[in-house]
Amino acid sequence: MTSRRGFLKAGGLALFGISLMGGIPSFIAEAAASDKIISPYKKKKTLVCIFQRGAMDGLMAVTPFNEQYLQTNRPTLFLSAAKGGNGNKTPLIDLDGRWGLHPSMSAFEPLFRDKRLAIVHGIGSPNNTRSHFDAQDYMESGTPFNKGTASGWLNRAVGLLGHDAGTPATPFQAVSLTSALPRSFYGDNPSVAISNLQDFAIQMRGNPQGVNMAAKSFEDLYDQTSSSLLKSTGKESFDAMKMLQKTDIKNYKPANGAVYPNTAVGNSLKQIAQLIKMDVGLEIAFTESGGWDTHFNQGSDTGIFARNVNDLSNCIVAFWTDLGQYTDDVTLMTMTEFGRTVKQNGTGGTDHGRASCNFILGNDVNGGIVHNKVQPISLETLEDGRDLAVTTDFRSVFSEVADRHLLIKNDKVLFPDWTGEHIGVMRS
Amino acid sequence: MKAPYKYLLLFVAIAASAVALSSFFRGPGLPAKSFAFPYKQAGLTERQAAAHLLNRFTYGATPGEVDAVVKIGLEKWFQQQLEAKQADPALDSMLAQYKDLTLSNEQIVAEYPKNGQLVRMAVKEGIISKDSVNNLKADKKEYREQIKAYMDKNGLKPQQELLRQFVNAKIFRAAYTNNQLQEVLTDFWFNHFNVSFTKNDCAEFIPVYERDAIRPNVLGKFDKILLATAKSPAMLYFLDNFSSVGVNTNAKQPNARRAQFIQQQQEQMMQADPNSPQAKFLANAQKARKAQGLNENYAREVMELHTLGVDGGYTQSDVTQAAKVLTGWTIFPMNDGYGNAARKIVDTYGTANMEKNGFVRDGDFLFNANRHDEGQKVVLGHTFPAGGGYQEGVDLLEMLAHHPSTAKFITKKIAVRFVSDTPPQSLLDKMAKSFTDHDGDIKEVLITMASSPEFWSAQSLREKTKSPFELAISSVRALDAHITAPYPLYLWITKMGQKLYYYQAPTGFPDRGQYWINTGALLNRMNFGLALATKRIPGITFDLKALNNNREPESAQEGLVTYGKLIMPERNLDQTIARLTPMLNDPDLGKKIDEAAGKTKSVQDMNAGGDDNNMMQMADNAKNYKAKLNKGGGAAGDRLMYAMQNSPGQNSMLSQVVGILIGSPEYQRR
Repeated sequence: MTSRRGFLKAGGLALFGISLMGGIPSFIAEAAASDKIISPYKKKKTLVCIFQRGAMDGLMAVTPFNEQYLQTNRPTLFLSAAKGGNGNKTPLIDLDGRWGLHPSMSAFEPLFRDKRLAIVHGIGSPNNTRSHFDAQDYMESGTPFNKGTASGWLNRAVGLLGHDAGTPATPFQAVSLTSALPRSFYGDNPSVAISNLQDFAIQMRGNPQGVNMAAKSFEDLYDQTSSSLLKSTGKESFDAMKMLQKTDIKNYKPANGAVYPNTAVGNSLKQIAQLIKMDVGLEIAFTESGGWDTHFNQGSDTGIFARNVNDLSNCIVAFWTDLGQYTDDVTLMTMTEFGRTVKQNGTGGTDHGRASCNFILGNDVNGGIVHNKVQPISLETLEDGRDLAVTTDFRSVFSEVADRHLLIKNDKVLFPDWTGEHIGVMRS
Repeated sequence: MKAPYKYLLLFVAIAASAVALSSFFRGPGLPAKSFAFPYKQAGLTERQAAAHLLNRFTYGATPGEVDAVVKIGLEKWFQQQLEAKQADPALDSMLAQYKDLTLSNEQIVAEYPKNGQLVRMAVKEGIISKDSVNNLKADKKEYREQIKAYMDKNGLKPQQELLRQFVNAKIFRAAYTNNQLQEVLTDFWFNHFNVSFTKNDCAEFIPVYERDAIRPNVLGKFDKILLATAKSPAMLYFLDNFSSVGVNTNAKQPNARRAQFIQQQQEQMMQADPNSPQAKFLANAQKARKAQGLNENYAREVMELHTLGVDGGYTQSDVTQAAKVLTGWTIFPMNDGYGNAARKIVDTYGTANMEKNGFVRDGDFLFNANRHDEGQKVVLGHTFPAGGGYQEGVDLLEMLAHHPSTAKFITKKIAVRFVSDTPPQSLLDKMAKSFTDHDGDIKEVLITMASSPEFWSAQSLREKTKSPFELAISSVRALDAHITAPYPLYLWITKMGQKLYYYQAPTGFPDRGQYWINTGALLNRMNFGLALATKRIPGITFDLKALNNNREPESAQEGLVTYGKLIMPERNLDQTIARLTPMLNDPDLGKKIDEAAGKTKSVQDMNAGGDDNNMMQMADNAKNYKAKLNKGGGAAGDRLMYAMQNSPGQNSMLSQVVGILIGSPEYQRR
């Protein structure tokens, strides 16, 4: 502990010097020289999670297109996989004769055919709440029947990564590319929320000494405060800041001709790619995507939903292209709090339902398959007579992905109340 | 007796007897307001108690305000705040520039047309040609200029201008109103009944929502604010109830198959030629038809978020049934497509006949009897007989407002806002009882809270973490700063993690320290302190020397002690001072800072006079960026932030000390 603090303090001040002053005051340089700062982190696996807030309509994203019941109940939303089957609308991409990918997600098709992208359908929570806020909370805490759980499942995952006591922890072990810490990251294990990597410095241009003094003052003040929240967060802030001073974040050029859409998700994934390539020890990354609560005028092959999935899939594919050789160490998983009603509502949209689907991308993923236990859709198989039933507990998928990719062993800690089984979404 | 009234009467009877009992104990004629704050029992001095009051019920103490509260008397000051009748001449003159905030919703809709409407109008009047709208190759610049000229000529404005006025007014009010508690509560209740600019359909209605539904009701009875929000266009659109239609209505519904046929025809035509008259006709037909069906969104959130709380004991069936009760609650037709579904009815019936047919109009609100579900409903075990019309919606909301779960849920939220993130159960019990005893009177709940020992206990003092907005405004107040342009401050508040009026979920911003304090946000708070104190935020001026009666501290350490006391009155700053002193006394470091400061044009003097040019330049930049911001460009906002942070600013040692104080952990607490 002592040595880690020492390393970070010394390293940090030296780094302020390099990036902001163009010269290092001797007393700082001496201190910095006393400790190593060259990438002390062993190469790690990284899990990237994208939360689609608002509840994505899984039945529109990946449609069981032979289901007559679905077609009947979605007169204006349903798309067929057959050319010309929807009038002038673009048909679905037929994945396996039963499931069709929304045409606006065509960027996903090669990854699916290449068996790197898996889809899980009928996924959801055993708790049948149809409240966004509750369902997100349950999914992120990982305890669908316990509101009191203080920690998030990804934060518990951080605690289960099993690092040697000797290796220094990195402030970038768990990073959320959001302006505030998501529920998934709540908890005692260190985690960072960063909306923009470039902001991560004490800033007063033209006054480098002032920056140094302010940085040191703040660090000391936060180190001694009686508020444990401010103290621990302050420490994480300074640790993280020092790490980031090492690279030229602003002038990042994505590799392999990858072009990120200039959207919130695109910018988040681009920064996650930077952190992965910077080798700062990133193991769990998180970001979120909005606009899925499509009660009103959802659209079909075009429209709100189509735009959303188009953006999401293009961002993910750009991220994957950019990562290139790094993809061996990275798995990406999407999640959403629940699905939407089978029947379209009176306002051209869908209301809160139960099961949805999610996407898992990685070289260790059992891809090219729509993993599911979904029954043929009829009034009898629907949950509460209205919604696609949850046939796969989200915890069986989340835990399998975390276990296999991050080599986490303790599902009892990750998902305390869960006793189910994995479904084979990762390669064994 | 009809069942709903029986239910209500029961509540009324309980409430009335409780009021009667309590007034008996108080003695006749005494106002319910005689209360005393038990701060001495908690070991606080009067000044410390005044500082605590200001920390919790205002946006932060201004210089000398602790003394002022002591002079008035703590309880009397609180009473004044509860009455919220302090004159505000200075604020009023600042707000006079935001004329559009006095408009009605209908006027706002007319002045701020949506893009589609704007284009239609311009085409109709022959200002722009139809072709240029859809022709992607057309000269975009010319097109934009035509539109701009058309807007200027007709006094039309882009929606972002409305947001700018609205946000600026919020900052002015929070920083300068003498009715601080009312403004703190406006923020609280707005957040409780959150609506968001992220939802385009409700955005234009939000300023009126805050002005008419929220602010006048923040210190009244809970049922009143609940009902006001339920009937406000912003909420009706935000949670979709405007579109909710019952199945068992008495109006003729178009044949479903015919509707589908029209839709198909229309889509084919739209694709063939979106500008053909047929396509347009069908587009309108679709718009009118769009809104058929039950929508549960508001019914669910009104129970989960506005009244009972998620554990308040309701089921999915209650949600569906409540949604049926509220079918037909929509808005009165205005321009731009709002309320189109009822326009024909309004035109055909005329207002007088509408009332005869069960319609109810109340300002922008319309109860559209033709869309109301006429059947019987059961919510929370209570039966609403068939044919209840408008009144059954009111009865439902009254029932929710007076439910015991609501008393608990609402008072806990108030306690979390004003006492601590984890308020003690003993306090919660007292507040819930007060809520029930006084028919949901918010004033009485606040009095109960502030009169409780728990409010003054060591566990509550400095326990709340300031939100970014509270940090920004309290800093402005502490420095006695003059705001000339609030928008750059808004950008900083956004950067620190609180984009005002843009919280997307109906939950509102979570009210707990853990939400606001994370590594990125914390760093931005430190940078905010430095940027503000070293005058890198345009549009805000202050005079540090004047704060100290124009006396210049003789050393950095003296500056630290003096300004620490000024900015954080009645706090124990021994630790802060002990930590910072060695650094400030390092002769080398001090010298280096002065040297660096000297290199950057700004003056050494603690007065910021020399920075005026720089400030003007940044303000100009801000203006230019604002235009780009109107297009929703986050990148332009980033550039303004960059320009702010990279301006030379005021680098005197005192400015930096003040910046460090504002960014210090102690100042993040209230």
